[in-house]
Parts: sequence; C-alpha cells; structure tokens
Amino acid sequence: MTLQVLSPVEGTALPLSEVGDPVFAQAMVGPGIAVDPARGAGDAVAPIDGTVVTLHPHAFVVATDSGAAVLVHLGIDTVQLKGDGFTLHVVKGETVRARQRMISWDPATIEAGGRSPVCPVIALDATAEALTGLRQPGQVAAGEPLFTWQR
Amino acid sequence: MADKAAAILAGLGGADNIEEIEACITRLRCEVKDGSQVDEAALKAAGAHGVMQQGAVVQVVVGPEADTLAEDIEDLM
Repeated sequence: MTLQVLSPVEGTALPLSEVGDPVFAQAMVGPGIAVDPARGAGDAVAPIDGTVVTLHPHAFVVATDSGAAVLVHLGIDTVQLKGDGFTLHVVKGETVRARQRMISWDPATIEAGGRSPVCPVIALDATAEALTGLRQPGQVAAGEPLFTWQR
Repeated sequence: MADKAAAILAGLGGADNIEEIEACITRLRCEVKDGSQVDEAALKAAGAHGVMQQGAVVQVVVGPEADTLAEDIEDLM
C-alpha cells in the first residue's frame, strides 16, 4: 500500500535536518519533511484521509484505518503558547479528508513571538527507506504532495 | 502502558524527583529536582526514542503516546 502525504501549509519545503529541534531534525519519531510556511494568517489542512487521533492547538496526528499516522507540528516549541493564536476546526476522533481545514493560525505571529513557525510533517515510526518521492526543497502549495509512504 | 509509565517514572528518578511533567505530542517535558538522578539508559530501555537533558529539564521522546503516558505517570505520583 502506498500513502501520499500532502503539505498541510503553503510555504517552502525543507529537509527535516534543517529544523531547529533535535527530536525532528534527527527523525527520532519518524522521517518526513519540513515546510517553512508562508507568513500571514492561513489554515493548516489534513495531509491524508483518516481519523484525528491526537489533537493539540499547535499539532495533530491523522491516522489511516491501517495505522499509518502522520504528525503535523505547527512551529517549534509552540506548546509554550498554550493554544494562543490557534483556532481548531476539528475535534479528536473526527474523520477527515485530505486537504480539509484543521487549524487556523498565523505563522508571522509565531515568528514575531520569537519562535520558528516551521512545520515538521512526520511519518510516525516509519523507516527512512519507506518514504519515496520526497519533495525537493522549494515552493509548495497546501495540498501538494510532500512524499509517498510505502507500507 | 502502565508498566512503561512506571519504568519512565523510575528513569526520571522516581515521583519524589519530579517537579513538573507535561506531554507535548511527541515527548514528555519534565522538570526534576535533581538532574543527576535521571537515568538515560533506563529511559531508553523503557522505550524512549531519545532523551535530551539540560540540567533539571529533561525531554523524553516517546512518540505520540506521550499524552497517555503523561496521564499514567501522573496517576502513579
């Protein structure tokens, strides 16, 4: 089975290794890609079809019925904001479609607060070899493919 | 899961060593009284993907089960 994982935000694709957080940069919870989001208020959308299994104001996990789970983290150290500046449009346990609006936020506000708004998109517990077609660094629109997960 | 919570709590130096523990989606963020009581090898043996420690602040990377683990650990304290 292959699973196409889409960009949750518009911005610039980057290798995960460039994220300023060792948990993501060293792929401790799984491989993936980071997207440096376009500055200005916008939405983060679902990267795959599935169920919202974890939901925080600043991050979420969508999992397929077969257990493939994709983590989207909106900015680095944004847990410290305790939800300030994030508006949720879904609830935990909800079934979502890829490209569905999940969370509204403003990367420029995050950056103005001294934090990086970069969004790691992680194939949880996947091996690096399981990801193919990784998007080359550069511009990406929300809903465009970031990588394919071979399962 | 409860066994894992107990093992992680032990690796952090036990309930008496915990000032504060909270979960963020992929990790447990913990403030301990005595950083020298944190046993990185024990935490990894308990299933942590990684451990980052700066003095009294310890981050235990456990993946998306962090929320559940933090609740289980709080139940044990």
